[in-house]
Amino acid sequence: MRFLAEEKLEALLHLLAKSSSLWTPTAIEDAAGTVTFEPWKPGTAPVLDRFTTLSAKELLLPATEKLFSFTYSLSEGEESVEIEPEGQTGETILFGARACDAKAIKVLDALFMQPAGEAYGDDQYRRRRLDLTVITIACTTCDAACFCSSFENGPAEKSGSDVFLYPVEGGWIAEGITDRGGDLIGGDSFTDSGIDPPELVVTRSVDIAGLQEKLPEIFANIDFWQEATAKCLSCGYCTYTCPTCYCFNIFDEMRSDREGERLRGWDACIFNLYTRETSGHNPRPTIAKRYRNRIGHKFSYYPANQGETLCTGCGRCIRGCPAGLDIRDVLTGVKEL
Amino acid sequence: MTDIIEAMDRILKDTDFVLGWTLDEDTGVAEPARFHSSEQAAQAVLDSTCVHNLAVHLPRLKESTVGIVAKGCDARSIVQLIVEGAVERERVKVIGVTCAAGMLDVKAIWRRHGYGARIDDTGDSLSVGGDRVDRNEYLMGKCRDCGAAAPVIHDELIEMSGPGRDSAPTSSGGSNDTTPDGTLALKQRFDAMPAAGRRAFWREQFSRCIRCYACREACPMCFCRDVCTMQTTDPHWAGGDTNARESEMVQLVRVNHLAGRCTGCGECERACPVGIPLMLLLGEQNNIIEEMFDYRAGTDLEAKSPLLTFDIKNDSWGGG
Repeated sequence: MRFLAEEKLEALLHLLAKSSSLWTPTAIEDAAGTVTFEPWKPGTAPVLDRFTTLSAKELLLPATEKLFSFTYSLSEGEESVEIEPEGQTGETILFGARACDAKAIKVLDALFMQPAGEAYGDDQYRRRRLDLTVITIACTTCDAACFCSSFENGPAEKSGSDVFLYPVEGGWIAEGITDRGGDLIGGDSFTDSGIDPPELVVTRSVDIAGLQEKLPEIFANIDFWQEATAKCLSCGYCTYTCPTCYCFNIFDEMRSDREGERLRGWDACIFNLYTRETSGHNPRPTIAKRYRNRIGHKFSYYPANQGETLCTGCGRCIRGCPAGLDIRDVLTGVKEL
Repeated sequence: MTDIIEAMDRILKDTDFVLGWTLDEDTGVAEPARFHSSEQAAQAVLDSTCVHNLAVHLPRLKESTVGIVAKGCDARSIVQLIVEGAVERERVKVIGVTCAAGMLDVKAIWRRHGYGARIDDTGDSLSVGGDRVDRNEYLMGKCRDCGAAAPVIHDELIEMSGPGRDSAPTSSGGSNDTTPDGTLALKQRFDAMPAAGRRAFWREQFSRCIRCYACREACPMCFCRDVCTMQTTDPHWAGGDTNARESEMVQLVRVNHLAGRCTGCGECERACPVGIPLMLLLGEQNNIIEEMFDYRAGTDLEAKSPLLTFDIKNDSWGGG
């Protein structure tokens, strides 16, 4: 184990920002206490005592990203379309993620990091992922929305992290999780340490065992879903702040009459438009059916297909839901059926 | 709580269910719920954490006859929905609540004290996580200068217990400047900004918009919802990029579409995950509408929204 002293933090951030794009939890001005991961600016202290409102998924799946640009031309009767792929991204370091944020990356990897050419392998994701280093702050406290202890390893989950920092008096005990993380904490900002890491927090826990089988069994119990989601507004708060929700839409935006860009942007299965077909038919016309899909995808279909639960218990959807809907109550309701 | 439970019981006889609040055991604050029976109604609560504007559900419940518990400010939304034909008066039974001392900005409290920090409001004193705090500091912005405590529409009327107001509850509408906790100073700063500064301010704010549409979905008056012009592909009014320019377009169109319709409930701002102070814009616009047309949305069942009656041939304020 190594040790990072509090007073060495700023120097470390300077060092990291030299060679990489460095993102830290940042308090946003004039935004009612909002904290989000933002590119670090010298002189700003990372906010480490509150949860970020948005997850870090935008580092891998930006809210909108260009897939390629295209130009249409017509010359001597010949039509042609030129396509220019999106360029490379550089090294990125995420400082101040939580174990649930880092785990979420591993959960998304199960899908997007599949080998190129396989069903879901995604080149843009892969490029960003391979360039990403995650420095996680271990949780010694939590709030009433946290429920990572529902999942194997809970707050001690280290997958997705390169470095694990345990808060202790005067700084952090640093553990290298990957080779990349080991190299990072081998640097001069860190010193050797014999201090034991502190006890991690135990959050509230929801029993998720058996949900994978149970959810398809109760699929047709629409009365349950209607009752469970009666207060849902079908807004995108939960899905857009969720570190593992990855629904997307692909669309073209024209920049002139002959030039345009193909973009990929966040979408959400909780939206009516997500499944509305060109004919006007919508297989999930009601909020209950859409929310049922969200839960089914997270706790049954994704685990069955990708081997990971598509939820890490970060609690963002609970903290911010304008309607006060708590996913834990829904899951408990499913178990009790 | 006997008043609300009894009122709900009576209203249940004429309705399919009642929209109200129950206690969330985990956090000790009110959460929205549907009440179908007397048995369920016994679980109804009414306190200073009933922040949600339940009127947002009404346009979606056209097939049912619905009871709804509505604070004075929520009742304005119901009136405006009826005025615009989005809700039929006959299909909604209103349990009006005369608000006592306003609603607490639960979101702001928890951002400061941690989600779920115990809120204990005895009416006389307020404490959060065991520490006594100043109520004024934790009130919803819209409650600071409320002129809508008495519901303009109701089939039952009950009074919320709590410390008395300085003045008798009115239903005139109060201030349009419904800026929640922490943004009062922002409001003053914003008012002092020159136009160019305001533009830059909003560009910066809208650059954070992630287009989750929580503002729209939480708004009782945004009942276009799934056919919102900001998401149509043909015509393609707004681009899908989440950059400041496109998001500004989306947000300003929404705000403009609420001209003369916004009842100032502040739900858009409460729902916003990235804390965009939307009520700064909407409050300002509500002021302008009032100045121009002497109209406050949702205060009169017989009134017509000025922008729904505007006749270009009889333009009385200086245009063509």
